[in-house]
Amino acid sequence: MKRLLNLGRDKLAVLSLIVIGSVLTAGIFAPFVAPHDPQQVNMGLRYAGMSSAYWLGNDHLGRCILSRLIYGIRPSVLWVLVALLASVGVGALLGLAAGYFREKIDAVIMRICDVFLSFPGYVMTLAVVGILGPGLENILIAFIATKWAWFARVIRTSVMQYAEKDYIKFARASGIGHVRIIRTHIVPAAFADIAVVSSSSVCSMILQISGLSFLGLGIQAPNPEWGMMLNEAREVMFSKPQLMLAPGIAIVAVVSAFNFLSDALQVALDPKLGASAESRRNKEGKQARYEYIGS
Amino acid sequence: MNLLKGMFGAMITVGLLSGCGTSSEPSAKSAEPAARANKTELVYASAKDINDMNPHLYTGSMPAQGIVYESLVENTEEGIKPLLAESWDVSEDGKVYTFHLRKGVTFHDGEPFNAEAVKKNIDAVQSNAEKHAWIKLSTKIKETKVIDDSTFRLVLSEPYYPALLELTMTRPYVFLSPKDFVDGETKNGVNGYHGTGPYVLAEHKVEESATFTANEKYWNGAPAIKKITARVLPAGETTLLALQKGEVDFIFTDDRGADSLDVEAMNGLVDSGKYQLVRSDPMNTKMIVANSGKSGSPAAETAVRRAVWHAIDRQTIARDIMGGTETPAETLFSANVNYAASDLTPMAYDPGQSKRLLEEAGWKADGGGQIRMKEGRPLKMQLYYDSSSSSQKTQAEFIQHSLKEIGAELELVGEDSSSIANRRATGEYDLLFNQTWGLAYDPQSTIAAFTSDSAYKHTTSGIADADKLYDMIDEVMVSMDEARRKSLYADIMRTVHDEAVFIPLTNGSVTVIAPRGLQGVAFKQTQFELPFERMSFE
Repeated sequence: MKRLLNLGRDKLAVLSLIVIGSVLTAGIFAPFVAPHDPQQVNMGLRYAGMSSAYWLGNDHLGRCILSRLIYGIRPSVLWVLVALLASVGVGALLGLAAGYFREKIDAVIMRICDVFLSFPGYVMTLAVVGILGPGLENILIAFIATKWAWFARVIRTSVMQYAEKDYIKFARASGIGHVRIIRTHIVPAAFADIAVVSSSSVCSMILQISGLSFLGLGIQAPNPEWGMMLNEAREVMFSKPQLMLAPGIAIVAVVSAFNFLSDALQVALDPKLGASAESRRNKEGKQARYEYIGS
Repeated sequence: MNLLKGMFGAMITVGLLSGCGTSSEPSAKSAEPAARANKTELVYASAKDINDMNPHLYTGSMPAQGIVYESLVENTEEGIKPLLAESWDVSEDGKVYTFHLRKGVTFHDGEPFNAEAVKKNIDAVQSNAEKHAWIKLSTKIKETKVIDDSTFRLVLSEPYYPALLELTMTRPYVFLSPKDFVDGETKNGVNGYHGTGPYVLAEHKVEESATFTANEKYWNGAPAIKKITARVLPAGETTLLALQKGEVDFIFTDDRGADSLDVEAMNGLVDSGKYQLVRSDPMNTKMIVANSGKSGSPAAETAVRRAVWHAIDRQTIARDIMGGTETPAETLFSANVNYAASDLTPMAYDPGQSKRLLEEAGWKADGGGQIRMKEGRPLKMQLYYDSSSSSQKTQAEFIQHSLKEIGAELELVGEDSSSIANRRATGEYDLLFNQTWGLAYDPQSTIAAFTSDSAYKHTTSGIADADKLYDMIDEVMVSMDEARRKSLYADIMRTVHDEAVFIPLTNGSVTVIAPRGLQGVAFKQTQFELPFERMSFE
């Protein structure tokens, strides 16, 4: 907890947290925040510019762009977070088991991981979408199915560092059950790695979901989604380029915020990168930097 | 590093929109197209590859087939005119057609065009008759006879008044050099694509481009445009960029009726001074086809179809979405189509009427939800649109919203145009975008297609008097009496109008963007071909 507080000293991290926090809040409370119904068609306002009633103007069907942007947070960010939690959950469970028990369990889980990791992420996602058909749920399913292996592998590596430590051996020797050891000794230690690797994965997932919606494979019309808004704007990109700005900037801002946050988290949680005297004592801790897969 | 990569990724997503298909190859053509004198080349953009050019099958690009192959007779504004046949006689009973062929015509490979070649081609088409069932002539040909080298006789099993009209069509009754046949057939592929038309297929790079060169020995004089290239480009902004850069200098509404550029982009091109925009007269009717034959689908109910019809504001679609380039259509066939019925009850935009119709039919809006229910089923349908058409998606979303107002939910599915055609044939749809086939085909072929499995059989099979409708269609095609035909056509059109299986949207036309200096940009009586051979640079 104390290390998390270090985050407060990093101004960029605080800013990122504020951005992410307000985006998430806006997404959750979209019906209250959005000034208009995002699906309300009003052909009279087709391609209307900014106005006091419609702050960001209107799109090709006269729908409020600001409202669409706010509702778009749900599939673009919120559902991505849910998918991320699910795949981290699956990955953590298997990674902990593999890293802690080793031997056969490890071998079996890791070979399955090898299979999943041997396909490029995008190809797997496209294949799943091809089988199940386009749609947000199917993409999220594809995400969970393809990303867990990566998390499992990273978490396993992290767990292995600790599983051989003396205090774990003592705990085992004194007859404490496996589940309890994992819960009290391993999870807290590995949590930092899990947090870092998952926060950096968010960005690639946000980009991928926007990319797939851009291609028309994600959420279906008329539901708003940032990638789809970009695609709709693309058709008039030479006559009305301003339509691309809103969804484009939204994607860039959120992805950057998650990236800054992930970097800050890494610094704050990694004992070696941290500046406190307490953490300097731990010289064995091998620094692990994870880069997210995909894109 | 993370940060950099993330930023880079974000840029890529945003950058996707700058059109990944645009190649930056240095092009000699990047000079302004209109500025060059003595230009004899055209490069047109096409969203699809020209595909299999075999004229006796249906996968090829029709504009490309139209310049390579020719038919016996031609459909013009003034009626049927000679093309490969100089003249023809029809017997008293309407069953025997004797064609006197043009002499001295050769195929691109040097083979002579004669009665023997005509017979071989028509026999090849007939041997694959089920594929051609939509064209009723294929079911009526009894005998093909070579009288002498330049006289050919076609014997029908019964009189069929649109016979000559159907012989004018882009396919299948056009002529391929007999040397290209495989075992005397064309249905299993051919060895080459040699027609008699003004252009010769010179090179075909699959999914990239196709080059056609002028047929210098063309019987009607070599065309002025010496080289035509069809470049495969994704529709939309990639095509627009290519036009601006001069990589392509010609585009037109494709054979599925999709304009690849939005109206404002086209106007912008014209304003740039390099291009002209030419629009044909209304050629066809763009419409939503409802599957009356799909049991369990709300679209199988007349009341629902009529409610959808009343709920669509055609005026707004024509004015705002189509930018005023098309006119609202109130009936399946516009008034300038032969035999178009004039006494149909118009079904104007009236959402109130839609709601009343649905109420009467038992679709109730109770239960708190926005969607009407009947016997536990929600009023929910799927609308399929061509994903490469920018206007269809916008129209679909507009209609979706209009239907929501009357308590119906529409699920939009964008698909490839060939997949839409497949859905139409297999009946796996509730509603889909389509268009009538154009002046040369309306009304007879479009109406004949009501009975064809591969076309509108599913659309029409669910209506109350389907059998009666089919009988009328069969009768009208063989009727030799003009007055009788007229009244039958009127009855057919009234039936499908009242049943609202074809919900008209707008009257579409063919749009051409061409270099400013290009003369003779004209249209044929069909939306599927352009007369390139009549064009020239000033």
